[in-house]
Amino acid sequence: MDVGLNSGQLALRDSVRDVLRAECPPAIARQAMTDPDRWRTVWKTVVDLGWSELAVPTADRDSSFGRMDLTVVLEECGAALAPVPLLSSVGLAAGLLRLAGPAVDDVLAEIGSGVVAALAVHPPGHRLPAVPMTLQDGRVYGRAVAVPGLPRAELVVTLASSSEGPVAAVVRVGDGVTVHEAECTDPAQPVADVEVDAQPIAIVPVDLDSALATPLVAAAADLVGVAGAALERAIEYAKTRQQFGKPIGAFQGIKHALADNYVALQRARGLTYAAAARLDDPATSVAAGWNAAALAKAAAAEAAVGCGRTAVQVHGALAQTWEHDMHLYLRHAWQGASTLGDSRALYHAVGRRFAGSAA
Amino acid sequence: MSYGLKTDLVAEYAAWLTGFLPNDYYERYREYRWDIGLRRAHQNAAFEAGWLQPTWSPAHGGRSLGLAEAMEIRLEAAMRSAPKLPNVAGPGVAAPGIRQFGTAAQIDRLLVPLLRGDEWWALGMSEPEAGSDFAGLRTRAVRDGDMFRVKGRKIWTTQAHQSRWCTLYARTDPDAPKHRGISCLILDLESPGVTIEPIRMASISDETFCEVILDDVEIPADSLLGPVNGGWQVAMSSLNHERQMIWIMNWVEIQRGLSSVRDSQATHDDYASGEVFAELGSLLADAEALRATGYRALNNELAGRPSPEADILKLLGSQTLQRVWELSAAAAGPRSIDDTDLLFERQDALAATIYGGTSEIQRNIIAERLLGLPKG
Repeated sequence: MDVGLNSGQLALRDSVRDVLRAECPPAIARQAMTDPDRWRTVWKTVVDLGWSELAVPTADRDSSFGRMDLTVVLEECGAALAPVPLLSSVGLAAGLLRLAGPAVDDVLAEIGSGVVAALAVHPPGHRLPAVPMTLQDGRVYGRAVAVPGLPRAELVVTLASSSEGPVAAVVRVGDGVTVHEAECTDPAQPVADVEVDAQPIAIVPVDLDSALATPLVAAAADLVGVAGAALERAIEYAKTRQQFGKPIGAFQGIKHALADNYVALQRARGLTYAAAARLDDPATSVAAGWNAAALAKAAAAEAAVGCGRTAVQVHGALAQTWEHDMHLYLRHAWQGASTLGDSRALYHAVGRRFAGSAA
Repeated sequence: MSYGLKTDLVAEYAAWLTGFLPNDYYERYREYRWDIGLRRAHQNAAFEAGWLQPTWSPAHGGRSLGLAEAMEIRLEAAMRSAPKLPNVAGPGVAAPGIRQFGTAAQIDRLLVPLLRGDEWWALGMSEPEAGSDFAGLRTRAVRDGDMFRVKGRKIWTTQAHQSRWCTLYARTDPDAPKHRGISCLILDLESPGVTIEPIRMASISDETFCEVILDDVEIPADSLLGPVNGGWQVAMSSLNHERQMIWIMNWVEIQRGLSSVRDSQATHDDYASGEVFAELGSLLADAEALRATGYRALNNELAGRPSPEADILKLLGSQTLQRVWELSAAAAGPRSIDDTDLLFERQDALAATIYGGTSEIQRNIIAERLLGLPKG
């Protein structure tokens, strides 16, 4: 198993980056905050290029996309602040179903073709992802909060408790699925609460830790992208902005803060790639996979918020304005940081598991 | 390359180490870690068996392994708490410098006794007025016929009083820009005019600092290591080699610290126990990030790509090491006070952000060389 990117993945990264540079500068994210349909043209490009097909794992490893490929594409979309539901639909919703077997093949094929799905795994009052719904008498019901991408979704993937243990369930947005949209931190990536009392189109038993591992790594990849892009913007500015007769990046107060950001970024990127590689390796235990994924998500959120905050500080008053891009990065980072478990809650969970394990 | 995969080679190494170590090594590790006799014997045996410098030839304590395999061996050695080299400056820093820059005669005379641990080495770098500003050193070496005459003073020179040799950095061209006027000389510490004063350490330590006073010391001109006025490159290249090793040492110490938190009674029984879990998780992330980054850097190196991420290893590893022992102390509660092993760990970890380039210098390196920010 490889921890770094191979040459094919590096080529994929470069091609994704080129497309997004040309078609999706940060200004598109700003437009998407006020124009609810702005995302659709970018999404059409994403789907036409086949990136949404990353949702579909196939038995043939050579021709299938592994989680590392998904990681590469999501990192670039995060860096570009692309206001598309690639993370929420392909990374999170399809990610949860990745190991669920043939019962969800049709759903994954739909998501792969560009139908937007959303993942509902936050019961009210929980910091960590959990089981928000109940399955009884063939119906799924319950309530979940802060469902990423739900206002754009046609499908909702969720977790439900049943008499036979936890299941992943898929419902179609429509009768019995009520979407409560409200203002949110990053309107370019809108979230909503959901109330469900509906008949699912697919149900499949799951192990919670192994189901949640892929969505955690996908969320981490997106945040690593945001961290890297915010840091890059801060570096650019620190090189050019002059005060006291020299570029502000020559002062150690700025220089060391950015060096620490770089450490946080590479720490998160290393953990994210290693987690993706672990999940792609059939020899990895469920516990080891979940730990690796949770640490990657925790580290990536720290890096994204940390790089975003420093970047605002480096840009000074400029970063307090709507027209400047910096708030776009930080909104995306803050919102992602609270999704699927904030960093402290994830670190706490991994630390507690470690402390409880045998010496 | 593989990640944490147990290969036949690693199994062979593990069997060799187990065969070498005393049966009660792990039960009595707290005593054995200070056992210089055992550590010397281990170094010599590792040299013979080709595990000391796995990428080098059998004549030089290796097996001509690739970088990836060598890293697996080093990680395995670290995970199994293999006895620490008694004079790490020798095999870790001086040896790669001699191998890269030495003349055939120097390599022939010096390398094997060094690698076997028969002759110890000190690094004559820091001076009272030249610490982080290494290039500002003032020790002077003046060419006089077929020798250099050296006058000056070195300090924080680890184990000089037990060493036979010293890689001495001295100014050979006072008129050149400061990086370009330094040469590296191989100093026989038994030479007339060399006075070595050990300095009492704040903690228990077998890596004692010394002050080395050089009063008109004569060094043969053929003891020059590398080109004249090329000492900066010799130093940077030697330290770079050390930096690639340091993270593995840090990583295993961090693992030991994490286990100590897990095994502390108070982690499980005290009402405040939950308080440590978030920091524990964050440190687990640091440890895993070190390993993943070490592998990524190696992958890039093997593929002939730049590996900028390697420059975070020293900074992240040393800071994490300090945090982990502080957490260990917190998790032990008042039991930390009478735990002198823990005291040693905490004091020892404080050195990690200083030696081999301080954290502040590491941040400057990252900011200026990787991020391209201007020099201050």
